[in-house]
Amino acid sequence: MRKYIKRFYLLFIFILLYAPILTLVVLSFNNSKTRSKWGGFTTKWYHQLFQNEQILNALSTTLIIAILSAVIATIIGTMAAIGIQNMKNKGRSFMLGVNNIPMMNSEIVTGISLMLLFIAVGNFYSKVTGTPSSFFGFITILLAHITFNIPYVVLSVMPKLRQVNPNTYEAALDLGASPIYAYFKVIIPDIAPGILSGFLLAFTMSLDDFVITHFTKGAGVDTLSTKIYTEVKKGIKPEMYALSTLMFGAVLLLLLIVNYAPKKKETEDGLSFSKEGSLKKILAVCMVIILCIGSFFAYRANTSSMHSEQVVVYNWGEYIDPDVLTQFTKETGIEVIYDEFDTNETMYPKVEAGAVAYDLVCPSDYMIKRMLDNDLLAKINFDNVPNIKYIGQTYLDQSKQFDPTNEYSVPYTWGTVGILYNKTMVDEPVDSWSILWDSKYKEQILMQDSVRDAFGVALKSLGFSLNSTNIDELKQARDLLIKQKPLIQAYVIDQVRDKMIGNEAAIGVIYSGEAIYTQRENPNLEYVIPKEGSNIWFDSWVIPKNAQNKENAEKFLNFLCRPDIALKNFEYITYSTPNEGARELIEDEDIKNSTIAFPDLSELKNCETFQFLGDDMDATYNALWKEVKAK
Amino acid sequence: MNKKKWLATPYFIWSLAFILIPLGIIVYYGFTDKNGAFTLYNVMQITKPDNAKALGLALLLSIIATIICLILAYPLAMILSNMKMNQTGFIVLIFILPMWMNFLLRTLAWQTLLEKTGVINSILQFLHLPTLNIINTPYAIVLGMVYNFLPFMVLPIYNVLIKLDKDVVNASRDLGANEAQTFFKVIFPLSMPGVMSGVMMVFIPSLTTFVISTMLGGSKILLIGNVIEQEFTQGSNWHVGSGLSLVLMVFILFSMIVMFKYDKDGEGGALL
Amino acid sequence: MENNKLIDLVNISKSYGGNLILDELNLYIRENEFLTLLGPSGCGKTTTLRILGGFESPDIGQVIFNGQNITNLPPNHRQLNTVFQKYALFSHMTIAENIAFGLKIKKKSKAYIQDKINYALKLVNLDGYGNRYPNSLSGGQQQRIAIARAIVNEPKVLLLDEPLGALDLKLRQDMQYELVRLKNELGITFVYVTHDQEEALTMSDTIVVMNQGYIQQIGSPEKIYNEPENAFVADFIGDSNIIPGTMIEDRIVEILGARFACVDEGFGRNKPVDVVIRPEDVDLVAPEAGTIQGVVTSLIFKGVHYEMDVMANGYEWLVHSTDLVPVGTKVGIKVVPFDIQIMNKPESEDEEAVTIDE
Repeated sequence: MRKYIKRFYLLFIFILLYAPILTLVVLSFNNSKTRSKWGGFTTKWYHQLFQNEQILNALSTTLIIAILSAVIATIIGTMAAIGIQNMKNKGRSFMLGVNNIPMMNSEIVTGISLMLLFIAVGNFYSKVTGTPSSFFGFITILLAHITFNIPYVVLSVMPKLRQVNPNTYEAALDLGASPIYAYFKVIIPDIAPGILSGFLLAFTMSLDDFVITHFTKGAGVDTLSTKIYTEVKKGIKPEMYALSTLMFGAVLLLLLIVNYAPKKKETEDGLSFSKEGSLKKILAVCMVIILCIGSFFAYRANTSSMHSEQVVVYNWGEYIDPDVLTQFTKETGIEVIYDEFDTNETMYPKVEAGAVAYDLVCPSDYMIKRMLDNDLLAKINFDNVPNIKYIGQTYLDQSKQFDPTNEYSVPYTWGTVGILYNKTMVDEPVDSWSILWDSKYKEQILMQDSVRDAFGVALKSLGFSLNSTNIDELKQARDLLIKQKPLIQAYVIDQVRDKMIGNEAAIGVIYSGEAIYTQRENPNLEYVIPKEGSNIWFDSWVIPKNAQNKENAEKFLNFLCRPDIALKNFEYITYSTPNEGARELIEDEDIKNSTIAFPDLSELKNCETFQFLGDDMDATYNALWKEVKAK
Repeated sequence: MNKKKWLATPYFIWSLAFILIPLGIIVYYGFTDKNGAFTLYNVMQITKPDNAKALGLALLLSIIATIICLILAYPLAMILSNMKMNQTGFIVLIFILPMWMNFLLRTLAWQTLLEKTGVINSILQFLHLPTLNIINTPYAIVLGMVYNFLPFMVLPIYNVLIKLDKDVVNASRDLGANEAQTFFKVIFPLSMPGVMSGVMMVFIPSLTTFVISTMLGGSKILLIGNVIEQEFTQGSNWHVGSGLSLVLMVFILFSMIVMFKYDKDGEGGALL
Repeated sequence: MENNKLIDLVNISKSYGGNLILDELNLYIRENEFLTLLGPSGCGKTTTLRILGGFESPDIGQVIFNGQNITNLPPNHRQLNTVFQKYALFSHMTIAENIAFGLKIKKKSKAYIQDKINYALKLVNLDGYGNRYPNSLSGGQQQRIAIARAIVNEPKVLLLDEPLGALDLKLRQDMQYELVRLKNELGITFVYVTHDQEEALTMSDTIVVMNQGYIQQIGSPEKIYNEPENAFVADFIGDSNIIPGTMIEDRIVEILGARFACVDEGFGRNKPVDVVIRPEDVDLVAPEAGTIQGVVTSLIFKGVHYEMDVMANGYEWLVHSTDLVPVGTKVGIKVVPFDIQIMNKPESEDEEAVTIDE
């Protein structure tokens, strides 16, 4: 009986641990791109995985960082452990205390503290040399990973060191060995299991880290974790599931092989010994495999970064067809270093801090104004961007709201914000924002998780301007949002897409570009722009002042404005393009004339474009938004 | 013999550069305003109702998650530690194996499982059972914490239990204690070092997480980790962010003191 | 004697992972007896003790205690207490708490418990150690605490699993006296496990010699020493010369080509046997006075006696003598008939294995 309870319990924990993993494995064979719909069995993601440069690069960065940081941390950590072991009480407690800091301090504090350090060093460097430094990148991630890995090594090696019989070392000296020889021949083999498990622990920790990498990474460098994090908001690429399934499968297979490989016959006395032995074997095999994969990717990484010319691009997640990047490199020989952000608000401080020198950034309207006001942008030399002629004049005129002279920005996408609803779940006709406050749809509403969009909705439904700076109006909007909160299922950004497709929610606030895609996947969905009016927005390319490769940026910009390329991007991201040339090339008449994709601007009378309201007003908005979120 | 202590020098320099100085920078930012003048304003931000609530909620959820982890992990560690030696290595690895799948993906997978029309609810519906609506609630966040940090609770406890002299347990039985008495009077007190480091290993990351609350809480629920993260990445007020980080560190420091009390070696040895 | 049988082990068999540890073991233990299970490691003596304590259950067979079958009774319900090999003190409790452990479980009154603690500490000569923790005590002191912790529960039987194994020689000898004193004072049964034959001979009323899961011989120390029933016992208990010989007829045995007079009868004629002669029973005499002749090949001073090897008729005799005979001296060997012990050659294969192994 008791045995069965135990078995049952083990099974329960086992299911708990493996249910999500099984889910991911299943999703990797899902023919549908969204996670909430089963579209039949396919292995296409596995084929595509090996053509997806971005994921493979992230994988190779992840592995290289994991291996390098684990190796370096193992060396420094083992030495440190030996040193600490030989210290007197005070030094020992001090070092062990320091050693505990990264282990016990939260990842977020460690990450932030390192970020602040790297920024300080970068600023100091640029002050001394007079050139802006692009310090963040591979090396900062590596330094950060080594930092949080060393303590694990120290803590794995210390206990083994304590078990070592000091007499064996003395015996070796007695037999004529030099101290160094004795150490390597006698002590190191004794503590080898500790070193090995320290290494493996460090490797695992590095592989799995997100938070610290998130704060210390630079442009164009992504580990799998940060890549996934940017993708989470947009909808994970199924290739990612395929990759994790492969990685998991490889490790599992390895364990099975090691465990069920023909064993030497075990005598009764040999039991405990053989356990240690097989663990060692596992570790050893793991290390060999890790090193093989690592050197393969290191080789790959070396051969792939041969281009001397480059352009550093900072764009929204999933906001460009990856083929466009490779095609550009093929045609011009300029390497694109590509980095992604998820909200204007996260993008801005990074550009402002200048820790990474981006060459081309794609912010939204109001944020462009803010960057302009704060003198962060450079004038674009339109001699290098002849393809600007394909951009519709109406869009350039609209852009004057945030770029009065049209000198600093080139529109990339545009659209409206509206309500997406599921016809099977909502009975009445939808034409007003007020449905977002209808308690009938409690827990069925998805709201945008960004300050201006959320306040825009509230302000508009109150009949105010969505650029209001009147504190009373804003407080009313805040109260309205707080009132709405219990009805909200979740605040989301791009996930609204997957959730609406999967029938998770009835109503969602969404960008028009996403609406087209969702309708394609789920015909029950309908998009409206509420009668109170809404936001008409632009995402445009700008060149920051501290860009290092301005001409390359302009070349890339010109490339993006080419109708065939713009079309490619339109088809990939489904956001409305201001590129008239591209629109002409659209074959599907329905889409070409879709009022969702290309509404007549004159019909959107009540719609406004976001304005930059000044840093102080921004802070007010942020503070009020936090009050909403914290309720 | 004592020359060997100099082997710790590289680490000493490293920790100075990448642990102590960065902490110093946080302290600096935490106690200054934008003009570099000394202020307590940033640290006092914690008393603002929003922030205090985020901290309170984070404390509450992480304490609950820690307790659940302990309750789940202890029997598991006991079962594992009583297994025949040659299976244990493999089984323990089975329980660490999920850590090799990316932490964000694993958490994301829970979204798929827990959603209203997700896997679990589909199964429940199929069985005509009431559905489970915990996604985007604090329950889902606690589940995410428990799921992600459970191995950190199991391993230290397992490591202590496996080193426990079986004869000590026998002695207790021999002296008349039944199984429950033996557990509460002997086994559990003796495994305290492992329990304490497990508690720390679960409590601290739970307290400070911002990823789990974002992914499983539908961005509706703000924990102290989210507040700090937003101060740095969105609000771009590093001073307030640092000030709040300092407050968080006080809590962690407090927990460390508790831990040191139990781990008399002061070397966290039970951890690994 | 049969009527004060306290424990009866009936037909006990136990195996681990296909290895037979105990094979149909039968043994009884009398009241107030100091019984020692003696044998090399792996002989099954500790398993026997653990079956008595209730930490293992036999695959087959019964444990009868005071006429009741307690085979499946958990340890906490048995009137036995154990002193473990490595003491197994509770390191998170003080000495006093350790000793009080069993009494608190039995919900004895505070005053009673305090009395018992004081009594037990006095008994093991550790007065005033109550508030210290086990780790601050020496091995010998911890050992005595382990005994104190067991005896305050007034068990009918105290089981001791190599309790002196970790102590140094002097301490071990002191503790041997302590244990015997305790046993006499408490008037309870001791079951003692050891691989140290000297310890067994010193303390026991009865010795059970075990090897490879079988009982080889049961008897008083004198009987075990002087009349080993087979070569294993002879070899394991003290030093001895075990020489293959032939029983020519009653009272005459031929060893190494020479005939010796002995006192054994009933082995038949021209029967191959093993002959055991203790080294202190070998008399070295002038060559012509000996039954056989040899040469002293080595000499070591051992304190109370000299230990010598004498090569005679192709066998190296081990000899203990208080007289010094220099190396190279030709000597004669003589043995008094009473000191010659004749044993049957092992018959079964199992028994064979035993002797070969040793």
